[in-house]
Amino acid sequence: MAITWWAASEEFGIDFDVVRLLTNLTRGAGILAEFWPPALDFVPRTIGPMIETIQMAIIAAVIGCATALPVAFLASRVSTPNRFVFVLDRSVLSVVRALPDILYAIVFVAALGVGPLPGILALILFNIAVVAKLLSETVDGVDPGPIEAARAAGGGKAQTVRWAIFPQVLPNYVAYSLYAFELNIRASAVIGIVGAGGIGNLINTERRFFRYDNLTVILIEIFLLVFVVELISIFLRRRLV
Amino acid sequence: MIQFENASVTYPGGVQALKNLTLQIPAGQMMVIVGLSGAGKSTLIRAVNGLVPLTEGDVTVDGVSVRHARPKQLREIRSRIGMIFQTFNLVNRTTVLNNVLMGRLHDTGTLRSMLAMYKREDVEIAMQALERVGIVEKAYVRASNLSGGQQQRVGIARALAQQPKVILADEPVASLDPPTSHVVMRDLQRINHELKMTTIINLHFLDLAKVYGERIIGMRSGELVYDGSGAQADENVFRDIYGRSLTADDMLGEPAAAG
Repeated sequence: MAITWWAASEEFGIDFDVVRLLTNLTRGAGILAEFWPPALDFVPRTIGPMIETIQMAIIAAVIGCATALPVAFLASRVSTPNRFVFVLDRSVLSVVRALPDILYAIVFVAALGVGPLPGILALILFNIAVVAKLLSETVDGVDPGPIEAARAAGGGKAQTVRWAIFPQVLPNYVAYSLYAFELNIRASAVIGIVGAGGIGNLINTERRFFRYDNLTVILIEIFLLVFVVELISIFLRRRLV
Repeated sequence: MIQFENASVTYPGGVQALKNLTLQIPAGQMMVIVGLSGAGKSTLIRAVNGLVPLTEGDVTVDGVSVRHARPKQLREIRSRIGMIFQTFNLVNRTTVLNNVLMGRLHDTGTLRSMLAMYKREDVEIAMQALERVGIVEKAYVRASNLSGGQQQRVGIARALAQQPKVILADEPVASLDPPTSHVVMRDLQRINHELKMTTIINLHFLDLAKVYGERIIGMRSGELVYDGSGAQADENVFRDIYGRSLTADDMLGEPAAAG
């Protein structure tokens, strides 16, 4: 309660006022009306950027999730080779996770220029952070029995991870990777706004020209794409897990 | 030969699980350890392959100190010691063959094992181990799809795939029903006879210990309190080891013939 009051108060917070919110609500109605009907003749121009978005999401998910696999094993007490690596890996991960993907996109666009490459790099970092975090927590909870068996059989550390731990977390890894791919589709709409390629670039242009009817087309397309990707991912998870 | 010399284990919490144990286990012997839970049976078994490090004294396997072994030497020692567990310790999500191949890890390079490129000979050894415990037809079945008795046989096959000189079995039948218990114990006995592997088994069923133990040792609160043949061990001996009168729970209660 106190924290909410602090956040909304006039002196300390964002000056949140319910009365003003309600009186200004009507003013937005005029603008909202411009979003409808969607400009269907705009559809052909969206196809290229949409495909670019999908390509960015795939590339980032493949590279990001592949990198996340060893990173996750180093970040779990169960599978890390020693304390130093464990602490280092965890610290790097929390730093990477602390910043949102759009900030990475801004940095990479500044360094590499506008285009899909900085977007892909931002998504890769984002995917490593998400998948490594989720997977390392899954590794923390694996059945220790097979690990003991692998050690007793004279297996090395890496071999123990490969044969006693990896098979236990494989279904989770597949699920997290598909989830990361879904997140990429959504995220690429946002990071494109800062110039990092994909459908977001187009969103930014149309927004600047107040072509809200064109924006509606893009929004519907993103919605459909995310929906289809989710269906595919549910199907794949059932097949593989 | 396995030799304990004044071996002690004190756990970080201060519990002394093994107290000044001196014990010799000659090559090829089938030795059963009995004692109440918490008496130090599991600690003794795990001290042999260094899964539990000694805090005092030493244990040697064929003359090589386990306590002072470097990591690489320790892996070498472990590769010659197969281990069987109460809860089987299989990876349920993968195939029986993959589980048994764990017994070949010590002979497989890191890169090969990462890529699952086991050598042909190693796959052959794993299949032979499965054959020896009679479930070779289950090689490509998921481990989780097997019954408890079959899973323990996979555990035994994994140990055999190491082609070890010693087999350690920590309560191998505690998770099995009585008839299956006898089947698994007879498997272990047969392996001990045919392959001349030194076999150390923890059991808490005294009738099983008496039937299968060529030698029985009794443990109570970390100390060796009995050492003799299975034939000599009668009810009085077990009562002494347990420090209480025996109950029905101390017996499996099913004659070997039933298996």
